[in-house]
Amino acid sequence: MLSVKGLFCGYNGVDVIKDASLDITAGENISIIGPNGSGKTTFLRAIAGLIPYKGSIRLDDKEIAQMKRKEIASKIAFMSQISSIYFSYTVFETVMLGRYLRMKGGVFSEPSKKDKEFVLQCLNAVGLTELKDRQITSLSGGQLQRVFIARTFAQEPEIILLDEPTNHLDLKHQIELVEYLKEWSHKDRRVVVGVFHDINLAMQFSNKILLFNNGQIAAYGDYRTFFDGDFLKTIYSIDIKNYMLNSLRRWENYG
Amino acid sequence: MQKQYILISMVVMRRKIKVLISISICIIVLLAGIGIGSVPISPADIFIILWSKLFGRAIPPKISDITVSLVWKLRLPRVLLAFIVGGALSASGTVMQSVLKNPLASSYTLGVSSGAALGAGIVIIFGITISILGRLTLPIIGLTSGLLTVFLAVTFASKIDKNMENNTIILAGMVFSLFINSILTIVSSMAKGHLERIVFWQMGSFASKDWISVIILACIAGVGIPCVIRFSRELDIMTFGEEQAQAIGVELKKVKWYLLALSAALTGSAVAFSGIIGFVDLITPHVARKLFGSTHRYVVPLSALFGGTFMVAADLVARTVISPSELPVGAVTALIGAPFFGYIYFKRRKKG
Repeated sequence: MLSVKGLFCGYNGVDVIKDASLDITAGENISIIGPNGSGKTTFLRAIAGLIPYKGSIRLDDKEIAQMKRKEIASKIAFMSQISSIYFSYTVFETVMLGRYLRMKGGVFSEPSKKDKEFVLQCLNAVGLTELKDRQITSLSGGQLQRVFIARTFAQEPEIILLDEPTNHLDLKHQIELVEYLKEWSHKDRRVVVGVFHDINLAMQFSNKILLFNNGQIAAYGDYRTFFDGDFLKTIYSIDIKNYMLNSLRRWENYG
Repeated sequence: MQKQYILISMVVMRRKIKVLISISICIIVLLAGIGIGSVPISPADIFIILWSKLFGRAIPPKISDITVSLVWKLRLPRVLLAFIVGGALSASGTVMQSVLKNPLASSYTLGVSSGAALGAGIVIIFGITISILGRLTLPIIGLTSGLLTVFLAVTFASKIDKNMENNTIILAGMVFSLFINSILTIVSSMAKGHLERIVFWQMGSFASKDWISVIILACIAGVGIPCVIRFSRELDIMTFGEEQAQAIGVELKKVKWYLLALSAALTGSAVAFSGIIGFVDLITPHVARKLFGSTHRYVVPLSALFGGTFMVAADLVARTVISPSELPVGAVTALIGAPFFGYIYFKRRKKG
């Protein structure tokens, strides 16, 4: 459903992503990993149509650059990393904003019953039903992260792009979120593309991993075919496999 | 589920009560603004005069002609003008703060006031009168030059930064207004004879304004504020950042231009008719948000209501404290406004 060919993009005329090509089909999840500054976020921004690019990104055979914002947003939801909040809304109101394109009726009409129920469902999915009337400025970083994830669900997209969604979350919520995202995409053959720093979590989220290095795709596909101690070492410049094994050994000492 | 709906309806009820209280306070302040002065006029008389004037009835003989013309020719237009100016400034301040995602922004940040002041200064110094405009020359040139400044600043920002980031816009606005301020300072230093008039114009006043100004401004605010309210959802979304707003489906650049232009026009016309009155545009949005949450479909109309009410009160103080002379209303707004704002904002913050 999404096809990227010869993509170059970046900021202020400097290309961060250099010649990336890949295809994403409906119903699959992809984890993006890679060292800092390797182009993970920039790649997501380009797919979401937020920055200009050269090359081609086609969504269901339509070029993203030629699509209107509304057209893109009805198919692709994008959650960037949390920035500071100046004006507070309730949790419920914040998630309802994700319904922007779906809501009918004037500014002063109450959201329809369907919209309200949908929002409650999204809040339920991230375990925030109890907090729905709280002001978002009173939430912890992890709770806020989940509010924004619920808002991307409320958008009812076909593709969700998440920039470090598990940031700020404790281990339990990280795992729950990853499981929920898998379930969500599996149910209606939708796509979730997530940037992860935690390689273990990336492996848990999807078999398909997109590995960026210096703005280029270093590997893309089932990680079991290319994960290999030496290969990851050349990219991350640390011995990841050994690091993980050492952690494992430490845990083995406990009952 | 039942409990949730009850909770929601309680919030709605409390909001309705707050709106009703705000409107009542507003009406009381308006009546005080018309009634208090060298000749006190009772609310009952005010109602009778308004009623008879609006529906073309004869005025009962117990009310003197002087009272009638005092209300109809002097105090009512003055109070209405103050109300509309306060409302327009506050609505526009709300929009600027949300669009630029900056709680300290206002149309003044983008150079409306300095542009208008320069335009007005030039009109005063050179004694320009454009014959079709007549007495409206000053306000109209003030408005045009205010808008022109904003337009130049925002165009400049969009040229150097294709995405029109908020910080670029704010910086461009600051650069333009400081630059224009210095031109005004130079121009007025060379025309010392007109200095007093220029300074007084800048201080702001609602004295000796007629119905024409009221009607013109009412039309602008009557069209402008509802146009802004139509974009409440976009405003809500934009406070979460530009990237997120686009990802949710807002045509960011278009909406931003539209809202910046509208709110500059609101401030610009308010400034043109009354001079530069600061502070309301900055604080009333915060007061409205404290009381009603951040949702713009409430915050925009209610800050307009609060701003209008507050401005009428400030003008009342300005013209009665050292009567028969007047204090500059621009100074009074900050004089009463600053402590009041500090009280509301920080007291509530401690609790909440």
